[in-house]
Amino acid sequence: MQLLLESGDFLARLLQQCANGVAKGSVYALVAVGYTMVYGVLQLINFAHSDVYMLGAYFSYYPARWLGYMPDGAEKPKVPLYVLGLAFAFAVTACACTGMLIERLAYRPLRNASRLAALITAIGVSIFLQNAGQMVFTSEVKSFPRYVDQTSVPLGPIAVANTSLIIVVVAALMVGGLHLFVQRTRTGAAMRACSHDMRTARLMGVNVNATISLTFAIGSAMAAVGGMLIAMDQPRLTPTMGLLMGLKAFVAAVLGGIGSIPGAALGGLLLGVAESVVGTWNTTYADAVAFVALIVVLLVKPSGILGKAGREKV
Amino acid sequence: MRKALGVLALMAVALAAGCGTKIGPGFDDKEVNLGLFVSTSGEIATFGEDTKKGVELAIEEINAAGGIKGKKIKLTHYDTASKPEEGKAAATKLATQDGVFVAMGAVASGISLAAAPEFQKYGIPMISPSSTNPTVTEQGNYIFRICYLDDFQGAACAVFAMNDLKAKKAAILQNQDDAYSTGLADFFEARFKKAGGTVVAKESYKKGTTDFNTQVTNIKAKSPDVVFLPCYYNDAALIAQQCRAQGLNVPLLGGDGWESDKLVPNAKGALEGCYFGNHYAEADENARVKAFVEAYRKKYGNAPSSLAALGYDVVYVVKKAIEDAGEFDRAKVRDALAKLKGFEGVTGKFDIDERRDARKSISMLKIEGEKFKFVRQINPSEVE
Repeated sequence: MQLLLESGDFLARLLQQCANGVAKGSVYALVAVGYTMVYGVLQLINFAHSDVYMLGAYFSYYPARWLGYMPDGAEKPKVPLYVLGLAFAFAVTACACTGMLIERLAYRPLRNASRLAALITAIGVSIFLQNAGQMVFTSEVKSFPRYVDQTSVPLGPIAVANTSLIIVVVAALMVGGLHLFVQRTRTGAAMRACSHDMRTARLMGVNVNATISLTFAIGSAMAAVGGMLIAMDQPRLTPTMGLLMGLKAFVAAVLGGIGSIPGAALGGLLLGVAESVVGTWNTTYADAVAFVALIVVLLVKPSGILGKAGREKV
Repeated sequence: MRKALGVLALMAVALAAGCGTKIGPGFDDKEVNLGLFVSTSGEIATFGEDTKKGVELAIEEINAAGGIKGKKIKLTHYDTASKPEEGKAAATKLATQDGVFVAMGAVASGISLAAAPEFQKYGIPMISPSSTNPTVTEQGNYIFRICYLDDFQGAACAVFAMNDLKAKKAAILQNQDDAYSTGLADFFEARFKKAGGTVVAKESYKKGTTDFNTQVTNIKAKSPDVVFLPCYYNDAALIAQQCRAQGLNVPLLGGDGWESDKLVPNAKGALEGCYFGNHYAEADENARVKAFVEAYRKKYGNAPSSLAALGYDVVYVVKKAIEDAGEFDRAKVRDALAKLKGFEGVTGKFDIDERRDARKSISMLKIEGEKFKFVRQINPSEVE
């Protein structure tokens, strides 16, 4: 109430925070989709997912660098559209392949082992990728090529960066598209079948290994897009940039109901908006909100907002 | 009995020798040996490299002009690898093994703090070119520095915001995990309030944050005249872009952490017309500065950073102190350093005060295109 009195346009401020939160939450959603898909099929929390997101940012950085659009020290030239397309394609393909490779080398050999073994392997892969990133990319902070020049877009009483708008639009298209893919196509049906009961799906003639590979490829591609979008909006690349993002996206996935794609999207948006709105009063506690929200949801509805109860297989 | 006495005597001699390890005089007929310990590897390697380049340029000039009181300078350098423990090791080596006459270093306050007790123990004057933490020179009466401290820097920025930018309302966005950032923020806030201004918002972020939108919205709601960003160049570039995207177009102001050739390219134009305080200004019209910039460009092919300028000045400070002392005697050189007044270097004119810190001016720079344009100097008398 006190804030209401001291600042006349409190509503505009709240609206601005919601806009900030939607942009932030859209990236959470993109990354959360990867967690949720893998969990849906394998009941595995793929901790390496956040590092695939980091790789996505770096993989979309290098094409422009190789083509000379990141000269050292000098003013960076504008990157033409075809290089942007190239970088996008490279990042998505490379991350999808990385995702499949991780599954093939680290998780498939443990498919029938205890779930704890797979979980610890996932943590190991994550640590490996972070350290490999430090070696290959160095720990020096990297900026990002000028794919899109950041400008301010006024929206009524508020203003947002054009890159934030791009994030929201691209994330909505990707997650919406993925939802349709899973619900409407034969391959999507195979994924849902694997998620429901892998053994029966195999009996029905579903190629389980191929379906799992595809799940990892799609999830990793989504993370790659998330990494690229964030780097455009907040150009600062480090090998550990996935750490906090992975944590938030995982919370978003659980919040929305792990295993559900619309749930991941909803969880991401809710978390982003909640963080920003709480930040109106105190930014120091904004991160804590994510985890308090998680605890509350787990207490009230353990399966998450859109999660279905009783799907847990033991 | 006599045997026992003999053993005792031997032990006493050994003890005495152990206590007062003999260190070399640090000079001979032809040369004076100066020590340097900066990090030329590790995460802050560029700072050390620049400092070393400045030091080497000054030594080259001095030796070409006949050296210090007829003796050429010999430089002994150890890499401190961005680690405090390496700083202590380097200090021990410089003192006991090389017996340097005077030691110069380090850049990072943490490394200077680790090395200072060693030099103090052996009575070797140590001069840090660029450690800004106040406690460095509190380590002993042989420890000096030639850069300004963070308290002065923060206060000077407040004076600049008030007098030059005519700001009445200031906002601060600080990195809550970095003592440099919170320190500068507090010193700025105190001085700005003392001058009659209001700090309308003081927002914080965690180390590694890349999304500052929430904080920027809060700051914008208070419509400040200026935003003070006590951070390093990476954060400054990101924050500036997010301010501009939300339509917060007031000038942004920062300290020496902003200095980098990556600042402007990373900010992509968002910092145009903003200001920061630095140790020296490449664009300074002063003849001494111009000659230094020209000589540095000729030798290394790029413009000197403020660390290079401080490295260059530290050698000339040593030269001046030895000349003032009149002879090659460490205690007398220490006294001369403590009494140094009106030294004119490329980083400005300064005195050494009673705390063995430099009392000097700060150069305020304006970002115009790719260039940092010199605005004016702020003197300590104006801030106090």
